[in-house]
Amino acid sequence: MAPERLAFVCPRLAGEGAVGGAETLLKNLAIHAAARGFAVDFLTTCAQSHFTWENALPAGTRRMDGLDVHFFPVDERDAGEFLRIQQDIDRGRAVSASDELCWLRNGVNSAALLRHLEQNAAAYRAIVLGPYLFGLTWFTALAHPARALLVPCLHDEPFARLACMKRLFAETAGCLFNSSAERELARELFGVPDAKARLVGMGLDPFDVDPAAFARRHRLAAPYVLYSGRREPLKGTPLLCDYVQTFRERTGRDVKLVFTGSGPIDAPAALAPHVLDAGFVGETEKHEAMAGAVAFVHPSVNESFGIVLLEAFLARTTGLVRAQSRVLVGQCRAAGAGLWFRHYPDFEAQLLYLLDNPDARAALGRRGRDHVAREYAWPVIEAKFLAALADLAPQ
Amino acid sequence: MSESPISIGAPGLDVDRLVADLQATVDRKMKDGVYADARVARAEKTNLAQLRGSDDFISFYLTCLRDAVFVDISDFEIRERRRFFGPLLVAFKKTIWKLLKFYTYRLWSQQNQVNGLVITALEGLEEQSAARLAALEKRLAELEGKAAGHGS
Repeated sequence: MAPERLAFVCPRLAGEGAVGGAETLLKNLAIHAAARGFAVDFLTTCAQSHFTWENALPAGTRRMDGLDVHFFPVDERDAGEFLRIQQDIDRGRAVSASDELCWLRNGVNSAALLRHLEQNAAAYRAIVLGPYLFGLTWFTALAHPARALLVPCLHDEPFARLACMKRLFAETAGCLFNSSAERELARELFGVPDAKARLVGMGLDPFDVDPAAFARRHRLAAPYVLYSGRREPLKGTPLLCDYVQTFRERTGRDVKLVFTGSGPIDAPAALAPHVLDAGFVGETEKHEAMAGAVAFVHPSVNESFGIVLLEAFLARTTGLVRAQSRVLVGQCRAAGAGLWFRHYPDFEAQLLYLLDNPDARAALGRRGRDHVAREYAWPVIEAKFLAALADLAPQ
Repeated sequence: MSESPISIGAPGLDVDRLVADLQATVDRKMKDGVYADARVARAEKTNLAQLRGSDDFISFYLTCLRDAVFVDISDFEIRERRRFFGPLLVAFKKTIWKLLKFYTYRLWSQQNQVNGLVITALEGLEEQSAARLAALEKRLAELEGKAAGHGS
């Protein structure tokens, strides 16, 4: 008997020079679905950069990690029109239905990918797709609502309040959420009923690394705090730079700031000599950087799932997150392995506490690792995914 | 300001309690003026949107900002780290500073006046809205009391 087919749709493929939480999550779910016996087609675009969305990879199908990955070209788009409307949405201005549609059309789309699904959708038991705010996701889901399982990666942001998003959440067959905080937000914004909502998330494989390796390799003699991921204002990296600089000035403690990932770092001039930008590093080096850090600081507010925070917990490192992020605070609370700050004074007090209490840090680190190893083991996540599939996309 | 604000034993750590204890200590210190510092105001420049809901923090931020708004236009010690021609470079920089002072002093004084007016206006607005809110809350409580009286 031929294996059942699943399609995964995501604007970019993680790992092809692209880094992003949603992309990583969808790719990993797809790989584990394939390992569980499904034939998986991963449908994505040829783009790598989430700034330009240029077609950087050749179109076509390649076999990767047990998946048939289909790369489709990104459509021509009017980036000016897209940005004009996006700015209005961002500023909370009322946007007409036609402008919403124009924004979706001039976002990331691929007519070739949609054509592929038009011809082959019937072969798939379900089309798992996300994140919610891309035109590609919206048009795909609404073209095949009965098969669409949305992995929204929903944030509390102006885009989530668009009328077109209500339609997306109302018409798709089901939603796979990453955290209970995200699920609650979807209930508040769109009234997503329990019958259509399942909590799945992403699994993580435990790892053991030498906590001193990263500091040794980069000749870091002082303690450091770490952030891994995209560097941009929405992720809170300018705030992190400001806080660490102020911390250094006010306390006189020599604490370095380490970044891994991509994007520019907007550090104050006085902090620049104390910033180490390791850039896009491999998984092992990232985990080593995490294991050696005094704290992993996640300064973003709008998150649906902090994958890097969970990785830091696995590395036995304490998390420091913003109190305004419901999801990240929820993860710190559930793991009992992270603290949350409202403003700079909290940040200063918490970082001083972690620097001066290595025993407490170690205790928090152990607890974080145990929690992630128990709750986010792949067999646990696979079981949740299969149960969601059985409920929301029955054979 | 380099000592840890609190010391809690590691075994049986409860992060909710730990965060609450640390925050209580911070709140107390904020009231004591430990964080009333222009550098704290600068550090919060990208966090203000998230703190809009916190009346206490906005008042505290304005206190910090009052320290930060005025440009320091006093004379300062001019140093030179380069060993060669160090004294010569210092003398050169001092001359430049003195020659330009007539212009820069005028410019900075005006900037300080503007900054001072802006912060005073902000503080005034904050006080005004706080007073208006208090009056509205009082009025609402009275109306609710009356409505409850009618209902019973």
